[in-house]
Amino acid sequence: MSSNIIETRELTKVFPGDITAVDQVSFSVKKGEIFGFLGPNGAGKTTTILMLITLLQPTSGSATVCDFDIVKNQHDVRCCLGYVSQDTAVDDDLTGWENLTLQAGFYHLSKKIATERIEEVLEMVDLKDRARDMVGNYSGGMRKRLDIASGLIHRPQILFLDEPTLGLDIQTRVKIWDYIEKLRTEKEITIFATTHYMDEADFLCDRVAIIDHGVIKALDTPANLKNALGGDILHLEIGKSDGPQLDEIRAKLAELPSVHDTKPENGKLLLYVKDGESSTPRIFSLLDKLGVSIESMLLKKPSLDDVFLHHTGRALRDESGNREEAMMSRFKMRRVRQ
Amino acid sequence: MIRFLNDTYWVLWREIKHLQRQRFRIFMTLFQPVIWLTLMGNVFQRVANVPGFPASSYLNYMAPGIVVMVTLFGGVFGGMTLIWDRRLGFLQKMVAAPISRASIIFGKMLSIAVQNAIQVIVIFVVALIMSVDFNTGIGGFLIVMILASLLCMVFAGISLSLGAVATSHETLIAAVNLLTMPLMFTSNAMMPLKMMPDWLSKIAKYNPITYAVNPIRSLFLTGYDWTAILAAGLMLGLSAFLLTGLAVYLFRQNLSL
Repeated sequence: MSSNIIETRELTKVFPGDITAVDQVSFSVKKGEIFGFLGPNGAGKTTTILMLITLLQPTSGSATVCDFDIVKNQHDVRCCLGYVSQDTAVDDDLTGWENLTLQAGFYHLSKKIATERIEEVLEMVDLKDRARDMVGNYSGGMRKRLDIASGLIHRPQILFLDEPTLGLDIQTRVKIWDYIEKLRTEKEITIFATTHYMDEADFLCDRVAIIDHGVIKALDTPANLKNALGGDILHLEIGKSDGPQLDEIRAKLAELPSVHDTKPENGKLLLYVKDGESSTPRIFSLLDKLGVSIESMLLKKPSLDDVFLHHTGRALRDESGNREEAMMSRFKMRRVRQ
Repeated sequence: MIRFLNDTYWVLWREIKHLQRQRFRIFMTLFQPVIWLTLMGNVFQRVANVPGFPASSYLNYMAPGIVVMVTLFGGVFGGMTLIWDRRLGFLQKMVAAPISRASIIFGKMLSIAVQNAIQVIVIFVVALIMSVDFNTGIGGFLIVMILASLLCMVFAGISLSLGAVATSHETLIAAVNLLTMPLMFTSNAMMPLKMMPDWLSKIAKYNPITYAVNPIRSLFLTGYDWTAILAAGLMLGLSAFLLTGLAVYLFRQNLSL
């Protein structure tokens, strides 16, 4: 087996009505890593996952999961992966134990092995003492944990998590990510997770791909992606004046050797600078000379949010809406898929 | 094949668990036949006095009709769980597992048939307590069960086919409402063909419900009418087979709805 557990080659999905949800996406996921797939709602994250888990036929291109072709060897692909959808698809009218029994049945485990595995995964997600309760009485976090547990029942080599923390409160989110980290270290399961929480992706993922409008804009470790921006980011709010206009200011600033790039955002000016601490005074004196007043400034180390902004031209955090919005966009996508 | 049976078993297992948990639903399914038999039996009692009525009391005539009617209503709502599963994302979870697609349809269909069989047994018990004639004993009872199950699968097949393509419950309910009442009243479940207007009796003759009612009624009232039993068995069996195939086909086609 090769060291890549997922390989895609120009994977493409076009929905009726010429909607290209995923556009010639090529990437590979290494065995044992936590791979983050980042993008706003409707960027093509879920569509990509659905193709990889064989629930959607690609329009063109190809992919392998665990060395099995996702079109030709669908059964083998399904056996080797676990899938936890963003819907938190647990059965409310069954107990936790029954949910897992059902899942074990779907994966053709014998009764004896099923019992062992159910104990094992319940332990993993700390639900042992609630196993006999109806899932309808579980909290949101418990439901998600049960859902993850049922994705693990057949000991998959790779677990697909679609927005695992969507709609959960902050403590629960942290807990879920703890479990995911534990999976990787204790069970050596590869994790393929989508999220639009950049902070989570930053400290958890070994590598992240940024996808927007069905195209992968960047793919690397979070550290490399941030470094590639070339140092620090200086946010400046410039006062209105009769002096030089924004484009002119940007051109002048770009002449400084420490300034890599400039970008206007929401009336602010973003400067990608080397050694922010020492170059900021020089930028200030230049602006002073140009007669530009500065209302406020913020110097910071780049985050994945900044990486996203740099590659897509917009901030993801604006779109990290609530659960209801996510539901609506999902229903919209479903309608499109018909 | 063993895998298919295994998958079907687990889909069925889940549905039966659901049924066990819904006490109110169990109560209603058991109570419904009682209401039909006592209420309808009383309201239409005097119809039996009309000359030419084929049974000694309306209740006797009605009981087989109730069997078929309960079967109809049990079957036509079978597609509901499919739509629920799709909406809640549970369907996606099931098909992401390496299970046979057809087993989801078969499992659900079997659970509907099991549920219906229980209801038919209840009708028999209630009917016997109300001293409805039943002339063919255990053998006749078994044939009634088989025919009722086939009829149930015919309607479950229609319902699951609709459920496979519909995205909302409202669509299915609307379709079911459109279907059931006309089917019921253009059959001889509640009125003999002879007592219908001419045009209606012509329609009623070809209604699948009439096909099922005829042999079941003669098993109640007279004895084994093998021609009617075989005709019903063949016609219902074939329809059930074709409609199940249709449901499986539509389900596969519309998986990612």
